[in-house]
Amino acid sequence: MTEPKTIDVSHLPPYDISNQAPLWWGQLLLAAIEGMMFCILIAAYLYVRLRYDVWPPPGDQFPHRLLPTLALIPLILSCIGTYWASEAAKKDDRAGMIKGLALNLVLAIVFFVIRLMDWYSLNFSYKADAFGTYLWAFLAVHTYDYVGDVIFTLVLFLLVVIGRHGPKVRLGVHVDSVVWYFLVIVWIPIYVAVYWGPTLMETQQ
Amino acid sequence: MTQTQDVLPNVPNQEQNISNLERTWRRGRGLIGWLSVTTHQAIGMRYIVTAFIMLCVGGIEALLMRIQLAKPNNTFLSADLYNQIFTTHGTTMMFLFAVPVMEGMAIYLVPLMCGTRNVAFPRLNAFGYWMFLGGVLFLYWGVFTGAAPDMGWFAYPPLSGPQFTPGKRTDVWAQMITFTEFSALCVATEIVVTILKMRAPGMSLNRIPLYVWSLLIQSFMVIFAMPAIVVASSFLLSDRTIGTHFVNPSEGGDPLLYQHIFWFFGHPEVYIIFIPALGFVSAIVSANARQHVFGYPAMVLSQIANGFIAFGLWVHHMFATGLPQIGEAFFTASSMMIAITSGVQIFCWIATLWTGRPRMTTALYFVYGFIAIFVLGGMTGVMLASVPLDLQVHDTYFVIAHFHYVLIGGAVFPLFGAFYHWFPKMTGRMMSERLGRWNFWVLFVGFNLTFFPMHILGLKGMPRRVYTYPPEVGWGFISQIATAGAFVIAIGGVMFLINVFRSRKSGAIAGNNPWDADSLEWATSSPPANYNFEYLPAATSRSPMWVPREERTFVTGLRTDRREVLVTTLMDAEPHHRYVLPGSSIWPFITAIAASITFVGSVFNPWYIISGSILIFVGLLGWFWPRRAAEIRDEA
Repeated sequence: MTEPKTIDVSHLPPYDISNQAPLWWGQLLLAAIEGMMFCILIAAYLYVRLRYDVWPPPGDQFPHRLLPTLALIPLILSCIGTYWASEAAKKDDRAGMIKGLALNLVLAIVFFVIRLMDWYSLNFSYKADAFGTYLWAFLAVHTYDYVGDVIFTLVLFLLVVIGRHGPKVRLGVHVDSVVWYFLVIVWIPIYVAVYWGPTLMETQQ
Repeated sequence: MTQTQDVLPNVPNQEQNISNLERTWRRGRGLIGWLSVTTHQAIGMRYIVTAFIMLCVGGIEALLMRIQLAKPNNTFLSADLYNQIFTTHGTTMMFLFAVPVMEGMAIYLVPLMCGTRNVAFPRLNAFGYWMFLGGVLFLYWGVFTGAAPDMGWFAYPPLSGPQFTPGKRTDVWAQMITFTEFSALCVATEIVVTILKMRAPGMSLNRIPLYVWSLLIQSFMVIFAMPAIVVASSFLLSDRTIGTHFVNPSEGGDPLLYQHIFWFFGHPEVYIIFIPALGFVSAIVSANARQHVFGYPAMVLSQIANGFIAFGLWVHHMFATGLPQIGEAFFTASSMMIAITSGVQIFCWIATLWTGRPRMTTALYFVYGFIAIFVLGGMTGVMLASVPLDLQVHDTYFVIAHFHYVLIGGAVFPLFGAFYHWFPKMTGRMMSERLGRWNFWVLFVGFNLTFFPMHILGLKGMPRRVYTYPPEVGWGFISQIATAGAFVIAIGGVMFLINVFRSRKSGAIAGNNPWDADSLEWATSSPPANYNFEYLPAATSRSPMWVPREERTFVTGLRTDRREVLVTTLMDAEPHHRYVLPGSSIWPFITAIAASITFVGSVFNPWYIISGSILIFVGLLGWFWPRRAAEIRDEA
């Protein structure tokens, strides 16, 4: 009788910071879940918009476009910082992670400040009508996710700064980039729906 | 320190390895230890037991309704109580029994079948269970304080809106949904990643057991369907609590939109319950016919097709809402299409049994029962897919009969089969086959006695959700038959419980592989050790347990002094790297408490969302904080 065969895996690396890591896949699925939620929210917005003749309804101001459009610049540029940090995490390059995450955080906060300025300039609340409800919902949900991820990026940044960055934290920095790219990418269709939707879907009277 | 696998590779230091594994994977002691458990067998069992208790509670609610309906003008229950009970029954069965029990079975079985030591995210797994338990407690807190929901399990506005259902009843329902959808999404994520990245070496995509395939498809469905109910229940809740205008028609919202979003979730939900049951059937059929399931590619492809088609059917729940005819025609066609993919699978199982030498176990009896009942339910499904007939029987007992045939026949019968099939694995003891057969026949007869007459009641025009009816309409006798049947089902349920408790104490010892089945969960002891396998098995064929012992292959070289597992590539399952899973932790429980405070509090005061989020943040910080030196130092 021959012995059962064996596959020796002791030579394989004890961790891997790349898209082969289970955590990376988990984060991708989380993005899929949230992405689906935003898709449904946009679909609901379009559905409701088609029930109205005039959009936005009389009394609501047309959303300003200047600030939110300018805000896209720091938002998209922040991905550079994320990318830098996630590549540095693979190579265990502490300085690279610190610089990348710092760039990410600074640009994220710039975007956030512009977001708040824009939000305060709206002359209607979520209680006004369906238009107000949807606009506030888009802003509130995206801001909630956004602030959540900024805080976790900050925690990762501090962990790297104080030197508690082993394989787990480095993997955290790497997969944090998945969430950040998602938050940036998902904002683009919402931006179009919120700020250009009323014009793009003008009904012919 | 006993050997669990019946075959082991001939490598040095086996004793040392096993005692290391015992120590590394030990569960904590005491209350804190119990709350900190992250091993998948324990969490899976908690899901199964909790969900089974909910089945009993939901069943008692059903009996109360049947007593009320047994004779005309009955006064056993008041109209208000009846409304609460039918809503709680539907909600319990869908959200607190059917989905969680399927998840529990998956959590228990998938890591074993994939040949690994735990799910990919053990702490998320624990968190998911505590959230589910939070949903259970919240709904039943409502039931016992008179705040049970009473607007039907799908809570259509405007009835469920602030004008027509004041008070907290609908809010309890909507927030209970939040709890269970969190739990379902946690489970779906970890199951997908476990299946994609942690399979045994050699278990390429075309060697995954059919049960595991069904879970992969189901989990992806959860990921794309559950966000819809997140949106729908949040719409409803925020309309009610902070005065938004999503679905409240009196304020410019759109109630039909709620129906669209709800059923975009609600239809896939039915398949989320039913597709794992198809996996049970495949496993039971192949073990008892003692051969591969006929047509593996056809089975997998038709299940995937089921998953896709499920997202294109939701409007058939809304035929009576006056949608454009072209839309209705499209959804009729897609609803009938599901009969093709389901039919392919039924024929594959029949072919497997036909050409094999079936061993008539109780589990296989339940599969035969499933085929009979499910085909009948499928037939009425094709009938309901046609718009004129659907309009005729809309909201009648015909619909009740149909969905109990597909859900009990399609999911609960295979589930009972699965209990009989995997009970030896989970407890180490066999269930009584004699009592099992009685159990099957009583349930089968009781089921048909209860629900077949409902087809006739529906055709006679009895609407659903009425708490009583006058004697002149002539529904009394048929209703009495249904009520009698419900009690027969209850007797069947009690027989099952007796069998479980008796077999746990004094059933025959099962051994590793009592059914001589082919998948990897049978390669280890019954019940499995916390680490599942001393040496992770490799899959050298689609039926790794039917490979001769001397040709089996094992993984060596994983460290046993920490919770190390093997990550393999997505398509071919080639070893890629080693990965350390987190150990026991109290933080998922604390985070779940924080999340529960947030959800329950926000029903009463929306500011809890902000303050609760801070608590959740603290919980997550404790959860992910790098503590041990090995997590901090970059050591190999």
